[in-house]
Amino acid sequence: MASLTEYLSDLVADADAVLLFSPTRSMYDRVADGDTEIVVVAPDNDLAAEPFVELPLPFDNVTDRIRFGIEGAMDADLVDEGDEVVCLTNVFGDGSDAVVRVGVDETVHTGIYDLFVNSRAEPSVIRDVFEVAIELGQKGQKGKPVGALFVVGDAGKVMNKSRPLSYNPFEKSHVHVGDPIVNVMLKEFSRLDGAFVISDSGKIVSAYRYLEPGAEGVDIPKGLGARHMSGAAITRDTNATAIVLSESDGLVRAFKSGKLVLEIDPEEY
Amino acid sequence: MIPAVATELTRLAARVPERIWLALIVLVFGLLAAYVVGAINRRLLTRAGVPDVIEGTAFERTAREFDTSTVRILAKLSSYFIVAVTLIVVLTVADVRYLEQFWANLGAFLPRLFVAVLVLIVGVVVGDKTELLVAERLRGVKLPELGVLPPLVKYSVVYVAALIALGQVGVQTLALVVLLAAYAFAVVVFAALATKDLVASAAAGVFLLLRQPYEIGDEVRVAGERGIVQEVDMFVTRIEADGEEHVVPNHSVFRDGIVLIRE
Repeated sequence: MASLTEYLSDLVADADAVLLFSPTRSMYDRVADGDTEIVVVAPDNDLAAEPFVELPLPFDNVTDRIRFGIEGAMDADLVDEGDEVVCLTNVFGDGSDAVVRVGVDETVHTGIYDLFVNSRAEPSVIRDVFEVAIELGQKGQKGKPVGALFVVGDAGKVMNKSRPLSYNPFEKSHVHVGDPIVNVMLKEFSRLDGAFVISDSGKIVSAYRYLEPGAEGVDIPKGLGARHMSGAAITRDTNATAIVLSESDGLVRAFKSGKLVLEIDPEEY
Repeated sequence: MIPAVATELTRLAARVPERIWLALIVLVFGLLAAYVVGAINRRLLTRAGVPDVIEGTAFERTAREFDTSTVRILAKLSSYFIVAVTLIVVLTVADVRYLEQFWANLGAFLPRLFVAVLVLIVGVVVGDKTELLVAERLRGVKLPELGVLPPLVKYSVVYVAALIALGQVGVQTLALVVLLAAYAFAVVVFAALATKDLVASAAAGVFLLLRQPYEIGDEVRVAGERGIVQEVDMFVTRIEADGEEHVVPNHSVFRDGIVLIRE
């Protein structure tokens, strides 16, 4: 046991900051005695801790949770690139049961914090749309790979910068993303051409939309097709977030302000 | 020797009146029934998820301090009730003459006392639970002024429970009922005043959502604000123009009318 304790103390040695994910009061008090910086990352600031990073979603995926916490801390200038951060979080059930040491560098910075916190739409809506896109990427439509384009938030402006390709199947309906039935519907409709438009609160405003943004000044990687280009361009003209599933390489990408902010492989998710 | 003892015993048994035997049998059955009902009650309450629901209420915590639990208390209560009824039946069957009047009154009174205690316990537990729920709901809003709300809700529930319990045991509760009526009236009046606009907005919101005179993306002028509709929900319509987002309550949309701007 002695060597294990030694190993653990090596793991946490010289950390620049400690990230506590949803700590209990007693745990916070115990850790806060030290002289390293403590950052609490939790859905609510029940402990009135300072500094504090708000977690908009529980993030079942631990890697995403840690990335989110680190990016939130970077956003608040609590940690910088090159720092070593120790995270105490829970993997199974309740209570902290894992210690993770992460070096803060470019690879950690995926833009996930920015995407959730600084988007116009609600974080849960963005997460729901992501989940639909990822599931679509994993399974495809009847086994065949499909592409899809979701434009989330600022729906009024997006609707004015687009035109219908055909009748809107969601007209006069009040359906919101995140509903299991609606997710099935979205998958079925993904064979339609054009974009899905989703409002700030998650209402599906329209499908079959042909986006008409000005494409100048859009900076996206070469090799991406028309779907990505129009998705990126609409986010430059409006405050929306575009979540695009690529038909050719199967990746899910998110665009904001005309820039690529996040790229995930559905197979790894 | 042994036959002699046996005959003695038979004579003794014969001397004991039949009523006493009957009473003894009733007593045994009553005690058995009390135990079985208590156990079944405890199982039923546990199976129904009562312990999880009342977890953390003040009553449950107090019960825990005395090394018991609400479910156990409720189960015990039903057992005691049956034991008490059995005792009365036994005494009646055994024809114990003295204090007859007292027992007769008690026989009528006991079930009501039982119901009263039950109502009181349920009332206190439900009160505790509603207090917890309200407090949890308001936890996001960290205003000290809102701290009075959860206890108020709790004591309202407990007050009603106490009224029912007192009514059961036959205490005059007219004055308390009048007090309750006055309190309920005040609550209703205040709630009506406070939520008048909300209710009107919700009613208008239902119409707007069902008929959709305007949709997300339409340009409209509502309540003097012109802009693009961003969101319509039950209570408000969000209209955006030049980086300004106007949140217009639906009742004013309905009252002032809507101008749809084409071109």
